[in-house]
Amino acid sequence: MALLEIEGLTVAFGTAAAPFLAVDGVDLAVDAGEIVGCVGESGSGKSVTALALMGLVDFPGRVTARRMAFAGRDLLAQSDRERRALLGKDIAMIFQDPLASLNPCFTVAFQLMETLRIHEGGSARERRARALELLQQVEIPDAAARLDAFPHQLSGGMAQRVMIAMAIACNPKLLIADEPSTALDVTVQAQILELLVELQRDRGMALILITHDLAVVSEVAQRAVVMYAGQIVETGPLPDLFETPRHPYTQALLAALPEHNLERARLQSFEGVVPGQHNRPTGCLLSPRCPYAIPRCRREQPVQAGEGGQAARCHFPLDAAGRPTAGWTESMLNAVA
Amino acid sequence: MTLPSTRSAPLLEVDDLARHYTVSRGFMKPKGLVRALDGVSFTLAAGETLAVVGESGCGKSTLARQVTMIERPTSGTLKLDGEDVAHADRGARKRMRPRVQMVFQNPYASLNPRKKVGTLLEEPLAINLDLSRAARRERAEAMMAKVGLRPEHYLRYPHMFSGGQRQRIAVARALMLNPRLVVADEPVSALDVSIQAQVLNLLMDLQQEMGIAYLFISHNLQVVRHIADAVLVMYLGRVVEYGPKPAVFARPAHPYTRALLASTPVLDRAARRQRVALAGELPSPLDPPGGCAFHKRCPHAIERCRSEVPALELLGEIRVACHRARELEA
Repeated sequence: MALLEIEGLTVAFGTAAAPFLAVDGVDLAVDAGEIVGCVGESGSGKSVTALALMGLVDFPGRVTARRMAFAGRDLLAQSDRERRALLGKDIAMIFQDPLASLNPCFTVAFQLMETLRIHEGGSARERRARALELLQQVEIPDAAARLDAFPHQLSGGMAQRVMIAMAIACNPKLLIADEPSTALDVTVQAQILELLVELQRDRGMALILITHDLAVVSEVAQRAVVMYAGQIVETGPLPDLFETPRHPYTQALLAALPEHNLERARLQSFEGVVPGQHNRPTGCLLSPRCPYAIPRCRREQPVQAGEGGQAARCHFPLDAAGRPTAGWTESMLNAVA
Repeated sequence: MTLPSTRSAPLLEVDDLARHYTVSRGFMKPKGLVRALDGVSFTLAAGETLAVVGESGCGKSTLARQVTMIERPTSGTLKLDGEDVAHADRGARKRMRPRVQMVFQNPYASLNPRKKVGTLLEEPLAINLDLSRAARRERAEAMMAKVGLRPEHYLRYPHMFSGGQRQRIAVARALMLNPRLVVADEPVSALDVSIQAQVLNLLMDLQQEMGIAYLFISHNLQVVRHIADAVLVMYLGRVVEYGPKPAVFARPAHPYTRALLASTPVLDRAARRQRVALAGELPSPLDPPGGCAFHKRCPHAIERCRSEVPALELLGEIRVACHRARELEA
């Protein structure tokens, strides 16, 4: 049984008559000790999925799911009190901007000890010793001196390390990292990613890494899900997913990377943006931007299908050569006729 | 208008440029001196792109502030079209300023939310040129077409646009005065990959069409590799490596450049470099280490690096400031 099981997760905003689905029927299973990358453009619903999982979607957002279970416990049936006991202990999350997530009014030690006080208890001296130990685990130089520092006295990389220390304070089984390295310099980003992977390996925790940087996911994760406009459009193991993408969206994202255009003067760009509340197309959500879209794509929503663990939500998933499958040309002719 | 005679000389000539700031360290304490820019030299020809690379705090943005004439450098010369603007009087600097324009990192912050696109684009014209309202509008509409905005966008407000479109507006605004040089400070790092590709393509098309030079500040080496002609790597206010792009990417000479390249995530597993462990972060510019500023993080540091500041020396096509560059290359 997977550690985390989500089926049909939907987050709706707007009115009941005209709901806007920020997350639309997401299925996700994460095993213990697994690193799953979650990629997509801004507005794809990556972060909202994580927030819904943490129970952090406030009114007027409405979270529904067929099933949402963590370590066999049903998250949907939990009371707020039960959920609070779980969050920060078994499931922890770190956010993009560490300096915005730390409370500027309190010292590092206070904030670390607060987490420990709520979930583990113990005397103040024990908790302080544990806080110091945590700072050492996240490789903060001169950790003892940093305990009494305020967040503004830390650099971005250091503050992110403090956030990680706080997240792993209670030995979580699942850590959700939402763009943990995006706001940092490349050198510090590499350090933070290495630290996360090391901690994940040592503790056997599961890690969901949300990012828009495909290269980061490719370096770190074992499996990836690609999201577009609230839906998972493709999922599969790495490196297969990025080597032979089945979904045109994954293909287009990969093609836009400068790394894949070394010989070209121009980058292959992918026109258009993620549809918002008022311009959701009917049929396949990618159809207005998809280079292969035909009338059927604009009419019918595709379902996720595929073999070998790699599944794409496309009527005509791409073949190994990166072209739509055979049915595509035939139906093209039919459409013309 | 520029005369043909200036074409042979580089558009921008920076020699031994320095900018120091004094900072208060608290009541009754001696003032500190930050050498944000220390002895930086480079040249940039018209129609070319120079990428400035380095971690935050290395002086990239200070350099941009000198080149755009927002500040006056402490010492050194900065020649634009052969004219020294560092020591020019106010009138001359004012006259020179329209030739250098800037595009900022975050298009959500750099556009005034209370002004329509048309007003934003016409503002530089209204300030610097004496044109009629109709002539301004005509120029704004021509520029909008050039950067791929539709005519009906003229009357819209910035909040009605996506990030990529906003960056197009910001680029259009920078080009309204036909600048010779555009300083682009991380112009694509706030954008998604798909949008990033669109904006980079636009910048390169405009460069070909209008012969603009770019001073392209970025920490994304994949982007730099795509767009730059030459690369300048900075560390704590000094240049550590400077050379043509193909050479710098094929044979990076400075350990810091190598570490930056190794830290950059890459998709292709075969192309991944051996990770160079770069411990720690940029030291405080208030209290930089003696000798080579990089020695505390450098895996190859020797005794000499702790005491002696390395000079920028030519090694093949690349200029590099490292005592051991020659020996490490072999």
